[in-house]
Amino acid sequence: MPVECLISALLPSLLLQCGQTFVRVEGKLFAVSARNPVAPSMALMRQVPLEILLQNSEVNTGLIKTQLLARLEGRSSLKNLEPYLFAEEGSPVHGDVVEFHGPEGTGKTEMLYHLIARCIIPKAEGGLEVEVMFVDTDYHFDMLRLVTILENRLAQGTEEMIKQCLGRLFLVSCSSSTQLLLTLYSLENLFCAHPSLCVLLLDSLSAFYWIDRSNGGESLTLQEMNLKKCANILEKLVTQHHLVLFATTQTLMQKSANPAESFLPLKLPHETETDYRPYLCKSWQQMVTHRIFFSKQSNSGNSKGFTVVSCHLKRHQTVKRSFSVAECGVQF
Amino acid sequence: MASGRWWTLCLQTWRTLPKSVPCLTSLDQLLDSGLYTGEVTELMGAPGTGKTQVCLGIAASVSLGLKQHVLFLDSTGGFTASRLCQMLQAQTEDEEEQLEALQRIQVVRVFNIYELLSALQELRDRLSQQVVSSMGPLKMVLLDSVSAVISPLLGGRQSEGLALMMQLSKELKTLAREFSLAVVVTNQVTRDSSTGLLKPALGRSWSFVPSTRVLLESKEASWDKASTRRAASLAKSPRQPTGIQVELDIGNGDVLEPSLVTPTQGL
Repeated sequence: MPVECLISALLPSLLLQCGQTFVRVEGKLFAVSARNPVAPSMALMRQVPLEILLQNSEVNTGLIKTQLLARLEGRSSLKNLEPYLFAEEGSPVHGDVVEFHGPEGTGKTEMLYHLIARCIIPKAEGGLEVEVMFVDTDYHFDMLRLVTILENRLAQGTEEMIKQCLGRLFLVSCSSSTQLLLTLYSLENLFCAHPSLCVLLLDSLSAFYWIDRSNGGESLTLQEMNLKKCANILEKLVTQHHLVLFATTQTLMQKSANPAESFLPLKLPHETETDYRPYLCKSWQQMVTHRIFFSKQSNSGNSKGFTVVSCHLKRHQTVKRSFSVAECGVQF
Repeated sequence: MASGRWWTLCLQTWRTLPKSVPCLTSLDQLLDSGLYTGEVTELMGAPGTGKTQVCLGIAASVSLGLKQHVLFLDSTGGFTASRLCQMLQAQTEDEEEQLEALQRIQVVRVFNIYELLSALQELRDRLSQQVVSSMGPLKMVLLDSVSAVISPLLGGRQSEGLALMMQLSKELKTLAREFSLAVVVTNQVTRDSSTGLLKPALGRSWSFVPSTRVLLESKEASWDKASTRRAASLAKSPRQPTGIQVELDIGNGDVLEPSLVTPTQGL
């Protein structure tokens, strides 16, 4: 796309913010004057491609620098977040949506603690030093457990150190799907103000499933409306702010024993192996890029107590691994 | 939530960590120093394995030992004040103390889900307004039993029963979290058709609700000699490895008998 078109498409909104006037002559834009260059809002800044920002020299250069740094930092790879969890190398990338699915007691919340610890521990100690947002709808989040994991993983688990790590964690609880929706809308400002906030954890997405179904009455659309809106706003947040989203869903229903009964043809290999029956709305199912199934091994002879089957949905790659849970958290 | 409070929230939460409420010595060993506030603990067992007795023991211990208030929601009619008195008498000789301990335990009889929900709503109103009444600082809510209230609602194709169950669970969890209470519920068990293991009743959706789960079983296989010995094992816990077992003696009003911890399964 030629540069001039980009400018004309984007700058009209920037215009109002910067206090600049542009004149279009023969299809090209020329800056007329720069008076009171007011800094545009952070949200706008993030949406404008870097090339445009650099060309528009009237914009506050200080802001450009912080934006550059923030974007470079934000894109600092999450590839080392947890390589064992993903079916292929180089995952997760920004924009990925990962679903943790499994019955109760299989270690999904424990895995989320592991991810939080990996993110908030400073680079000197082997972590990624990025900020994490945790949305808790299940009320299972236990700060004591997180602090125990941090103490075990940090070389010197002093209170100062742990407080510093916890300063990178943002925690919010929601007790209904409407509250979840409103919370997600209000997170926009937070993501704009914290460019290094690039991981969003949601535990769990299916917490209000039965309540929503009952409130929706007979109409399936009404029943799924809140969740559909949540899925849409999550997609918007993930793409606009280059996040990685990890969401937990619970196995609320049993897979129908007769394959002929299920509406979707079982094409993917993982669906025959695992006890997965899709019940959340279509918008969510289409958003997911990786689906990871958790299960517990019932034979006590094996030292590793839990298994994960990780599927990359677009590339149809599946990988199976096992892990155990110790005092210091998840261990592969 | 005020937008200004976002980033200070996690530090505040760290200062108000969930506290453990130590109640019965042997049960405390199982539960990593006691029942934790801010979460729901489930006691499951077949009929006659002593769930109500353990609940009474917990109530007596918390009220007498820790001097905290307790709310006992009775849905089976199994609460007997005389048994509670017996337990208190076994722990202390002083009648004055026993009386005070009895005054700190409030019993509400609820026999269906709507009564239960309105009792919880009343509790929430009282706690939010911080009414200083005979109901002082509440620390624990015991619900005996949740399956008696929920089982009649389940079954059939309508999701209303499940929605009511999830609403109850949401109410219990938010009460526990917001007011720092320890919530204990008792439940029945059923046998899993595929593996043959005991699992809690009320289905899959309920199984996600409690954070900690303790299974109570009778020790003796034979029924001719009535035994008061029970085995409590940890079936689910967010901070301990599962499979730890302790022995409890629920007879003679003394549920405090400590016994050895035998880990049957490692990590």
